Order: sequence, then C-alpha cells, then structure tokens
Amino acid sequence: MTNPQTDGDPLWYKDAVLYEVHVRAFFDSDDDGIGDFRGLAQKLDYLQDLGANTLWLLPFYPSPLKDDGYDISSYTDVHPSYGTLDDFKLFLDQAHRRGMRVLTELVVNHTSDQHPWFQEARRSQNNPRRDWYVWSSTQERYRQARIIFTDTELSNWAWDPISKSYYWHRFFSHQPDLNYDNPAVLEEVWNIMKFWLDIGVDAFRLDAVPYLVERENTSCENLPETHAVLKHLRRRMDENYPGRFLLAEANQWPEDAVAYFGSGDECQMAFHFPLMPRMFMAVKLEDRKPIMDILQRTPALPENCQWGMFLRNHDELTLEMVTDEERDYLYDEYAKDKLTRLNLGIRRRLAPLLENDRRRVELMNGILMSLPGSPIIYYGDEIGMGDNVYVGDRNGVRTPMQWCGGWNAGFSNADPEQLYLPLISNPVYGYQTVNVESQRRFPHSILSWMKRLIVLRRSSRVFGRGTLEFLTPPNHRVLAYVRELGNERVLVVNNLSSSAQAVELDLRRFKGTIPIEMFGGNPFPRVMDRPYLLTLGPYQFYWFRLRRI
Amino acid sequence: MSEDTFLSDEFLQQITAAGEADILAGVPTLNNARTIERTVRAIQVGLVKYFPRQRAAIVISDGGSRDGTLNLVKSIAPPDFRTMLAAPPLRTMHTLATPHRAIWGRGGAFRTIFAAADLLRVKACTVISPDLESMTPEWIEGLIRPIYRENVDFVAPIYLRHKFDGLLLKQILSPLIAAAYGYEIQEPYGGELAFSGRLAAQYMNEDVFSKEFMRQGAEVWMTTTAMAGGFRLGQSFLGPKIHAPKSGGLDLAGTIQQVVGALFNCLETHQQFWMSRNQVEAVPVFGFENDMELPAVRVDRKRMFQMFQTGVQELASVHDLILSPDTLQRIREIAKLSDREFCLPDDLWVKTVYEFAASFHHSVINRDHILQALTPLYRGRISSFLHENHEAGITDLGEKLKALRLQYQQSKSYLIERWSASA
Repeated sequence: MTNPQTDGDPLWYKDAVLYEVHVRAFFDSDDDGIGDFRGLAQKLDYLQDLGANTLWLLPFYPSPLKDDGYDISSYTDVHPSYGTLDDFKLFLDQAHRRGMRVLTELVVNHTSDQHPWFQEARRSQNNPRRDWYVWSSTQERYRQARIIFTDTELSNWAWDPISKSYYWHRFFSHQPDLNYDNPAVLEEVWNIMKFWLDIGVDAFRLDAVPYLVERENTSCENLPETHAVLKHLRRRMDENYPGRFLLAEANQWPEDAVAYFGSGDECQMAFHFPLMPRMFMAVKLEDRKPIMDILQRTPALPENCQWGMFLRNHDELTLEMVTDEERDYLYDEYAKDKLTRLNLGIRRRLAPLLENDRRRVELMNGILMSLPGSPIIYYGDEIGMGDNVYVGDRNGVRTPMQWCGGWNAGFSNADPEQLYLPLISNPVYGYQTVNVESQRRFPHSILSWMKRLIVLRRSSRVFGRGTLEFLTPPNHRVLAYVRELGNERVLVVNNLSSSAQAVELDLRRFKGTIPIEMFGGNPFPRVMDRPYLLTLGPYQFYWFRLRRI
Repeated sequence: MSEDTFLSDEFLQQITAAGEADILAGVPTLNNARTIERTVRAIQVGLVKYFPRQRAAIVISDGGSRDGTLNLVKSIAPPDFRTMLAAPPLRTMHTLATPHRAIWGRGGAFRTIFAAADLLRVKACTVISPDLESMTPEWIEGLIRPIYRENVDFVAPIYLRHKFDGLLLKQILSPLIAAAYGYEIQEPYGGELAFSGRLAAQYMNEDVFSKEFMRQGAEVWMTTTAMAGGFRLGQSFLGPKIHAPKSGGLDLAGTIQQVVGALFNCLETHQQFWMSRNQVEAVPVFGFENDMELPAVRVDRKRMFQMFQTGVQELASVHDLILSPDTLQRIREIAKLSDREFCLPDDLWVKTVYEFAASFHHSVINRDHILQALTPLYRGRISSFLHENHEAGITDLGEKLKALRLQYQQSKSYLIERWSASA
C-alpha cells in the first residue's frame, strides 16, 4: 500500500484511483442531518476497503451555499456545518495514516458575493479591495465571452446597486470573478494554497480554471495570461511543497485542455471532459468510433502529466464538448425526460443513465479503469445509487450516501426531515434496496465487483502510465486496445453492443504470448500468427495480461 | 461456389463485422473504376448527412470487373466530412465489397445485396448505379426517407428527362405496367431504387435469380413483385440522370429483348395478380420536382421509319405468327405510307404490344425471336410519335402520354383475352 508519508514517487497521482465525495453527503457524526469531517473520518475504512487511494473533497469552506459551496466566503476555514478546522486536520491525518491522499477544491476564479473582500470592494470605488474584482460602468466589455449557466444567467455582468457599477461573473451572479491583473490577488491565492499545503493537503482541484483572466476581443477563456497565473502558482508550490499536484477543471476540447499542462509546468492533471460523453455515446451507438475519435484527437501529454477520467461527478453530465448533432443524440437517448436536462447537460447519476443495467455499469467502469488516466469514482456510484431530479439544480446527484436500509440509510440519526436533502427512497434506487451494508454481504454485488476491479487496476502501473494502442478489428462494436509499460502488456477488449459479438484481433506483434484473463487468472490460447478469435457476451469485456511464458 | 453458398466466406466476415445496419446502400458494379469512388463518396455523405444516427453500410456487388473496381473500392478512405458537413459522423460506416456470380448479371448483384440486407437486418435498402455523373448525396435522402420515415416498402425514382428521353419506358413499360398491375409508376426500370427490409426478404425468397431475364431486367421484376405483393409503393424525384460515357452498352434490340422480355416474364409470374386487378392507383410522390433545361435527345426519325418498313417486310413471316390478322393488316398498310403521312396510332400500338405479350406467353415461336420482331415495330411507333409531337410542349406531351396510358388500360381486357386464349 502506498504511504504518502514515505513514498517519494513524485508521479504518484498517475496511479491514483480517486474518489469524489462531498463531506455534507457522506456521514453525519453529530446528528444534525448534515455530513461532517468527523463522519467522513469514520468512513475512511470503507474507502480504503473500496480501494480508493485519493479523496477529492468538494468545497467545505464557509459559504452561503448558493452554489453548493463553490461560492466561498472564507478560504481558510471550514463551514461550521461540516465541523471545525481541527476536525479537518483529524480527518486528514486519519486518511494519511491509511495511505490515502486528499485533494481539495481551490475555487479562486470567483468568490461568493458574501466574501468580505467583495463586501469591501463594493463599498466604494476607492476602496483598496475594489480592484480585486472586475468592474465596469457598462455591460459592453468582453462581449465575446459566452454565458455558461444559460438556464439562469442572461449576462456575464451584474449590476451592483451599492457601488453603482457592473461586476464580472462567469458563473452565477452571486459569484463575482477575482481580478488576476491585480498582483495582490495572485499573492493572496498563493497564501490560501500555502495555508492548506502546510496543513498537509496533497493536491488542489482548480475550479473553473480557463476563466481566470479577461481580455477584450477574446472569448476570455484559455488566455496566455491565465496560463501565466498557473505557471506562477505551480512554480511556488513545487519549490516549497514538492510531490503535491494541481488538477485543472478545464471543460475544453483536448487540444485546448492540454494547454493546462503547459510544458509540464502548469497543472499535472486535467479532466478529459470530451471523452466522458463519448463513452456514453459509444455504448448507446454500439460503436467504438466516438471513443477512438476523441482519444486519437487527444495530444500527447508531458511526461509528468495525467488525464483525470470520470464517468459522473457532482455536476451535470456536461455536453459542452460535443457537436450539436452529438448533443441532440445524447439528449434523445439519455434525457428523454426534459426534467433531467440542465444547462448543456444531463443531471443524472451513472446507474439511472444506464437504466440500471448492471452489465453496462460494469462495462463503463471497466473502460474507465483501463484507459489512460487516473479514474475518478463519484461517491455512491460504486453501489449504483440513484438520483432525484425533483430537488432542483444539481442537488439530485448529491443526496445522502446510502449506508444501510435502516434509519436515514445509516447516514444520520437526525429526524429524516432534518437531512440536508431527502434520501432516495424509490423502490428501485431507494436506500432500502441500494446500500453499502447489503452489498457488502454478497460477493457478486456491484460494490464487491467494483472492489475487485479497483484491485486489478491498482495491481499494475500499466493502466496509469502505459501507452495506448488501439486495435482496429473490422467489428466496430468491439473496442480493443493494448496498454504497454516496459515489459508489461495488457490487452483490453470491450463489447459495446447489447448482443454477443465475435471479433478477430490482429495480435501478431504479441505472437507467442499467452493471454491471462485478469479477473479469473485463467490462461487463454497462445497468440499465433493468425487472427486471434474472441467471443464476447453482451457488454462483456476482458482484460488480458499478455505474458511470455 | 455452389448455389447454396453464393456468399463467399470473406463477404460473410465483412457482414459479421458490420453486424447490423439500419440502412444499406447497394452498388452493382462492372468495370466502373473511373466513377466508383465518386459514387461511394456521394453515398457516404448522403448517409451521414441525412441519416446521422442510423447504422449504415454500403455493399459493392461486383460482376467480375477487370479494371480494378473491386480493389479500388476497398481502398476508398472515408471522406473528410468536416469540409462537407457541419459535424463528423457519429458512427462507423462499413463498406463491404464482394464479387458476385457474374453469370447471373445484375440479378446476381441484386441477390447479393438482398442477402446482405437480410443478414444485416436492415430497415431500408437502396440501390445506386455506379456510373452516375449527376448523383448527389440528396438522392440518398430521396430514396431512403420514404422507406425509413413513411413506411413505404418500395421507392421508384423519377428522373428529370428530356421530353424524348426514355421512350421505351413511356411507350411500353410504364403504361403497360400501370394497366396490368394497376399502379402508375413513371420509372419502373430505374437504376436507382429503394426497398424495405421486409421486401428485401421477400425478394430473397423468390426463385428467379438464375433466370435469363434477371440479367438485365431485375429492376422491372423488383417493381412488379412489390406491386403484386401488395407492398406500399412510392416514387421520389431525383433530378437529371447522367451516366458516364461507357462503351459496350446494349443496342435497342438488345434492350428490348432484356427489358421488355423481363416485363413479359413478370406478367407470367404475376398473372394471377394482374388478371384480377381492375383498378389503377396513383403512387405517392416524394421530394421536390425540379425543372431545368436538358440537352435534346437526338433521334433519326426518318431512319427509324425506314427500319420499320424494312422490318415489316423482312419479318412478315414472323409477324404472321405473333400478330392477329387485323393488326397485321393495319401495320402493313401504314408501312406503305410515306414518311410524312405515316402514323402508328395509340390503339394499334397498344394492340400490337398486347399481342406480342400474349404470343410471348404462349411461346408461339422462340421467345427471343418474338422480342426481336418487336423492335422494328417499336421503331415505327417512335418515328410516328416523334413526327406527331415534334413541336409539342411538355404539357401537350403529357396529355398525349396520358391518352396512351388510358388506351393501355381500356384495352386490358384484350390482353387478358389473348393471354387466356389457348396457343
């Protein structure tokens, strides 16, 4: 087991299996209906048993919670609902003791409008904090910047009646953007980073990173000045806290997202946003083309960098990085109920998206864990939790973790009415049916299966660090690739189709090797000169270790 | 290959790889290396542009090309859709290519396409000629959409033609099929057509592919089989049809032998259906009818008249066996007229065609000889038609053709009478 205290591998994040969790949603230790750090600490054994080795915490800072914590009003404290700073330190220590790293959110494109900095800035046009935000007397500046939250915002400018001018916001109007042209802002952001790095945080997810800087006559995204900010922060972090990493949230096409790695001197990790919807598309189309197209279009990364791969997260399944035709298709196939659509995306969890089809859930996780990059599991998806589209915004995928079939699903001892969000309680996905306790008892539950999958994923560095070579058998319903690192080779074969498939693979390069099926450990016939024939059941996949014996 | 295994293993492997498709576009080829790439690309673009979500496959069924057509097809890379369409295709598109039993001619090509449609479980299938210069991606939509969206089973094309183009269609095929089968289809012999998966399965079950008339007349058989089977029919405007220049095509006598022969064969096959059918229905038309000036079709009317006269003289003994005395007498009389006076009227022409059909049915002489004997009479009819309508506008001509169709319909009882009479 990796131990962050002793393992000096600076590229540890390449082998990470991340688990994204909201403190609020995981476990309530003080019976107030809201999850907290002490509760999360109590559940670390579960996460360790699952196999996650890096925890990504959603924002837990003081906040008016108008955007689920992404509207921060104090950067160096813990929201009282989740405990205290000492509680966080206790949790962090416990995680580190189990060899787990912790990644926290650095939401510094904007603050809450309740943040003291903004309260000061709006007081007068001469206030020293005034220049910490982006102001204008008109709404005419930066007209080329798109509006991101199209369902709620009509403009990126909002009128401030106190200082009688407009302020710039790329997201909700209660989230004014910080002004990175002011060196004091950059210095303060570094101070925030230092604060958490000193406590022991291992990594930061940089929220909304493409939007840090604005320039006239541009889209105000991915600007060179933004990259300069990242290089600056990265350099200072490396100099003072080696072995930590930055993860960029840049919802961009691969060729733009790759810019956030710089020359290996900006973020070490970035989400591969365009891949995720194409995985869903590929399974629905029963065609490998969407996945192969986007990965073949993905530029090579600097040696020290890694993609962050995910199926679902706390936001909607974003459909920004697809064509109009693809978006229409995905909406029609995955969001027939218009209520599930939000902004340019679909607010659903993994299991409901896949119609609770265990085979497809396994296939999608299998692909996630075997493609290049570090996989991220969204809390609850490991047990097939459902969602609740009726609670508004993206809260439907942020409901309490379902630990057991008892009182409040074992999440809290508070009155059910006191919970921060109602539990999922329908007969299909409800906590009485879908919960950790019941799944732990059965070796064939989705939870038990996920554990085995993660064990296999972590059994070899080839998945996190190996090369990727697609095979192109004529059967387009089969997605096959070889991962290779040094002498280690893993052949992955996925049937994207709902029906059984035969496929002949050209494995002549690996002639003489014996494929060992990794889940069962059974040898398959030796690879020879002729095409290697495999048959796969509906949505079945194989991982083979190609061994020379 | 035995008849039971007319699909090669290699082609079956290609079908296995494609798996299942919603739409199939079949292209029967024979020495089309010069034009096949453009045709395939136009089909690819049409499929991606108009049916982006559907699983599509293209099947090239080759009759033994010696110019490398088949190898060329295999090497055609997908076009750069980004330069033509707003978005790249969602799906993989398979292009399957195989030789078929050349001895069966186009019938063999179609059988391979039907088999592929059946195995791939397609919902809609279209067939496109490999040598068209005028084909655009829009043709794919025009042919497939009625099948895919409107539940039509068979779509015949409507081409934009010069008023004197397609005379065999206008004088025999279309009006005879309308009168006999009861469906008015303008182009029952179009090289471009479409059909549903269930109709493809019906075609597959017919035991006709080794028959001689299928070598060139498969389209006539497909059209009439759809009619006789009670399938929903449609027509679609495609625009002008311009083939690439090609040597070695059939002459008029050969065309009549193949195409009219195919129709007469079909009349035999479907006689139970058409003999009891006593109504004529219009067939729905889809698409936008465009209008443009087309180059004139040049026909040497005088020479056709001379060939008519010669034919009537030289084939007198053959015509004696085919035609009724009354018809024969009238033909011989008009054959004596001068070029300027000559007229072969609708009623006589229809009677002539019907008598040829019946004689074909009864095999009064060798069937090939019967069809050959029709050629000079057809030339006479064309000469007469051109003479009468030399100055006619499109509307007037339309009225004349409508009158001819009516003549065919009104005389149908005569066809049944001759057909049913003992030889």
